[in-house]
Amino acid sequence: MVIPPLRRKVLRDLRRLWAQALAIALVLASGVATLILGNGAHDSLSETRARYYAEQGFADVFADVTRAPLALLADIAALDGVLQAEARIVKLGRAELPGVDEPASILMVSLPGGQGAGLNRLHLRQGRLPDPQSAREAVISEDFATAHRLWPGSTLPVVMNGKRRELTVTGIALSPEFIYALGPGEMMPDPRRFGIAWMPRPTLAAAFDLEGAFSNIVLRLAPGASEDRVIEGLDRLTTRYGGGGATGRDEQLSHAFLDTELKQLGAMVRILPPIFLLVAAMLVHMTLSRLITLEREQIGLLKAMGYGPRSIGGHYLEFVLVIALFGIALGFGAGAWLGAGMARVYAKFYSFPFLLFAPDPRVYAIAALVTLAAATAGALQPVRAVLSLPPAVAMAPPAPADYRQAGRLARALPLRQTSRMVARHLLRWPMRTATSVLGIAMAVAVLVASLWSIGSIDYMIDVTYSRAERQDVRISFVAAEPSAALQDARALPSVLAAEPFRAVPARISNGPRSKRLSVEGRTADADLSRVLAPDLRPMPMPSHGLILSEALAEALAVTRGERVTVEFLEGRRRTLSLPVSGISLGYVGLGAAMEIGALNRAMGEGALISGVNLAVDPAGMAEFFAAARAAPKTSFLNVTALTVGRFRATLAENITIMITVYTSLAAIIAVGVVYNFSRIALSEQGRELASLRVLGFTRAEVAGVLFTELAVVVLLAQPLGWLIGHGIGLAMAASFASDLFRVPFVMGREVYATASLVVIAAAILSALAIRGRIDRLDLVAVLKTRE
Amino acid sequence: MQTGSETVIRATGLTKVYSSGALEVQALRGVDFAATAGEFIVILGPSGSGKSTFLNILGGLDSASAGQVLFRDLDLTRLDERGLTAYRRDHVGFVFQFYNLVPSLTALENVALVTEIARNPMSPAEALDLVGLSARANHFPAHLSGGEQQRVAIARAIAKRPDLLFCDEPTGALDSATGVRVLEALTEVNRAIGATTMVITHNAAIREIADRSLRFADGLTVEETANAARKSPSEVSW
Repeated sequence: MVIPPLRRKVLRDLRRLWAQALAIALVLASGVATLILGNGAHDSLSETRARYYAEQGFADVFADVTRAPLALLADIAALDGVLQAEARIVKLGRAELPGVDEPASILMVSLPGGQGAGLNRLHLRQGRLPDPQSAREAVISEDFATAHRLWPGSTLPVVMNGKRRELTVTGIALSPEFIYALGPGEMMPDPRRFGIAWMPRPTLAAAFDLEGAFSNIVLRLAPGASEDRVIEGLDRLTTRYGGGGATGRDEQLSHAFLDTELKQLGAMVRILPPIFLLVAAMLVHMTLSRLITLEREQIGLLKAMGYGPRSIGGHYLEFVLVIALFGIALGFGAGAWLGAGMARVYAKFYSFPFLLFAPDPRVYAIAALVTLAAATAGALQPVRAVLSLPPAVAMAPPAPADYRQAGRLARALPLRQTSRMVARHLLRWPMRTATSVLGIAMAVAVLVASLWSIGSIDYMIDVTYSRAERQDVRISFVAAEPSAALQDARALPSVLAAEPFRAVPARISNGPRSKRLSVEGRTADADLSRVLAPDLRPMPMPSHGLILSEALAEALAVTRGERVTVEFLEGRRRTLSLPVSGISLGYVGLGAAMEIGALNRAMGEGALISGVNLAVDPAGMAEFFAAARAAPKTSFLNVTALTVGRFRATLAENITIMITVYTSLAAIIAVGVVYNFSRIALSEQGRELASLRVLGFTRAEVAGVLFTELAVVVLLAQPLGWLIGHGIGLAMAASFASDLFRVPFVMGREVYATASLVVIAAAILSALAIRGRIDRLDLVAVLKTRE
Repeated sequence: MQTGSETVIRATGLTKVYSSGALEVQALRGVDFAATAGEFIVILGPSGSGKSTFLNILGGLDSASAGQVLFRDLDLTRLDERGLTAYRRDHVGFVFQFYNLVPSLTALENVALVTEIARNPMSPAEALDLVGLSARANHFPAHLSGGEQQRVAIARAIAKRPDLLFCDEPTGALDSATGVRVLEALTEVNRAIGATTMVITHNAAIREIADRSLRFADGLTVEETANAARKSPSEVSW
């Protein structure tokens, strides 16, 4: 096969400039990889979820009631738009596993009579479903089973409604309802302390005194049905049975958390790949421009020999496309590999029966096309310059660089001549200097925009658990109790202090805006669980009115002094208008707080409490747990140390991965830009630098000239990178914010410092790679040739 | 300036072999040479005769394969890269055919580039004055004619008050009138600072401005002529 001479030149150019080409290819590959990773993970997560939902008949509408007769089910099923309705008993109990001190909650869910039918069908992983006639058998959730080494045949002691019962595990299953299984009052799934047990209806009906009744209803809607209308109808029917707070999937906890994850992936796809593609386009432009300048005479010669502009332009485009194709291939590999890793991380957090990272071929195709477009865009201007160059002009050497403009700027400064050279060289090509500064700034920005979250999460934990929720343990009762229950709690062993709280589900609205949440009542001078003002000062509970968290106030578009409508979804279900007395800080969930007496008055009920916050002597924890467990009123316990510990442990695992990935990505950008910039600078100034060596400048002094130039670019890029990273971080924090949580935007100086250190280290390494070339400058050759 | 009797630089048996793979090219085949302080020497010879190699080795830009070069008591052939750099920095000025000015520095700044690292330099303005370019001090190389650029290069080479001034084809890229002006500048600085000056040229007529001329052929000096009287550059016919 005969290779045409221009193609052979492409191959030789690539071999000669392999390091620069590789640096560009790596940046392109990062863009491709993040595109595939982000889009692929997004698609596979949302498609896996959709398929899982469809296969298991995941419900569309969810509602809790206190106790509704089964006869109501027919009315509900008859609501317009309802395709299927299932009445269930869903109750919280406690698992009492031998040797496990810490309290574990277990959510008990009734199974429909006809097996395999119904909504939210189980995906059985092991064993079988319980015998519908058995009062002891249960299927349990897989993560909980794994955490406690339970398998079919194991015994699981649980306390339901105050009574201890030994369940026999018949199977292990997954449910679309609990893909993200978060225990009540927790921030991260902890399979040691929260699990789900599915059992036949009669068992639960007997235990919770719900024969002929149900406590939870799930609906599947007909295609095209209005969710709002169905919810309205359902609330109307269930209000008198303690319902009225039906929600769609968007407020179903597991679903909502997955939505948040999808949102974050979406943000990643919008931010990272464009950065890489932009930097790559800039690098292509920079490198190709220099190559074309160096080959000006060759281009003139080719034109003179009769090569058309199309074939010469095509030749340079080919050079760029080969690099792009290599980057794309590399990015495909890296994207698939990272995607598989991401799928493993997801498998840890989300309970799917299957989760495959197998992005649609279209994701690959789009990534490849976008990347080719970016590379071509970078090549466009230099190639166009080739086309317009008349052969006679091309064959003459280019006019010498005119430094008059740049000269004026650096003349007044008291600089050494070598520094003046640096300043003028940078100013002479302001676009190249600017793009290099921008490129390196992007490397800094990638780091700043990702690393800030570590400190912010730390801050969030600190504010939430050291300043606001300072209790060691929070006990939630099964139902509201008279305030005398506080005395019982105070009397538990090792309790140092106890404060009551009241939590009432409510719908708070301002005109058409409305949110469902739990209004929490505290004593005016509560010291354990406190509400904090945005400046972190504890806020005393007002005698009248509500304190809303910032997130809720924003969602409802209200400010201090305005009034909101509060519709309590419990007890007498009063609806009243209350003033907003203050706005509080809060990162987890939506919050509304009242003084406990005011709340009880608003409810129109006596002095009731929903639970207690306790300070417990750490030395007596085990003793305390044993006693608290035995208390019949207790529904579940939240132990702050365990919650925080779990949260930190989970984060620590992910932070290492995150730092590794983002540092690598930033380093690829930094190395790509610095290496190409210095190779080009060296190619342009090789002659001057060799002349300096002849004049008696040492190798170190000569390298210093080039390195100073690099240092200026790298240093100028730092504040710009901080600024861009800050902006991206701010946008990310805003885009992550959901009703479930919002991450405070805390940008510590250490974030800037770390980002800069990483990028500067990468810059130094790539500069050192150039050092050898500076040392090997051929002093004699340079003197014999004309520029 | 009177040439002194002190020998500044001496080469004995200087040999240079360039080898690339199996191919060996003998550029110098045992050259013996000595120059005294302030002497003005012109080196002639066809391309490839070894004259540039000879000058490069004497100037510390290249190393010999065999033989010895002594600058006063300093044995250049024993110096490492660092030693050669210091030798060039402290004792040698170079002028080349293509000027090798730094395009981003003005005439004055190009000279200052060297005076900043020299031990006992004259002021850059003084150096420019010596070559008659004071008026163009603030021009960038791109705005100077070839002859002016070469005079800046000479000013840069002599501003450190070198002991040796090596010029490789300094007029090679210039027309004759400009070349004369450059040679005048060279003879003027040779007189003013007393540097031993060696000029390589293709132009045999130029030898008349020197104290002595050498002719190279095939890696050896084949002819050496001393001039009883030096002509001024303007008297030389090209």
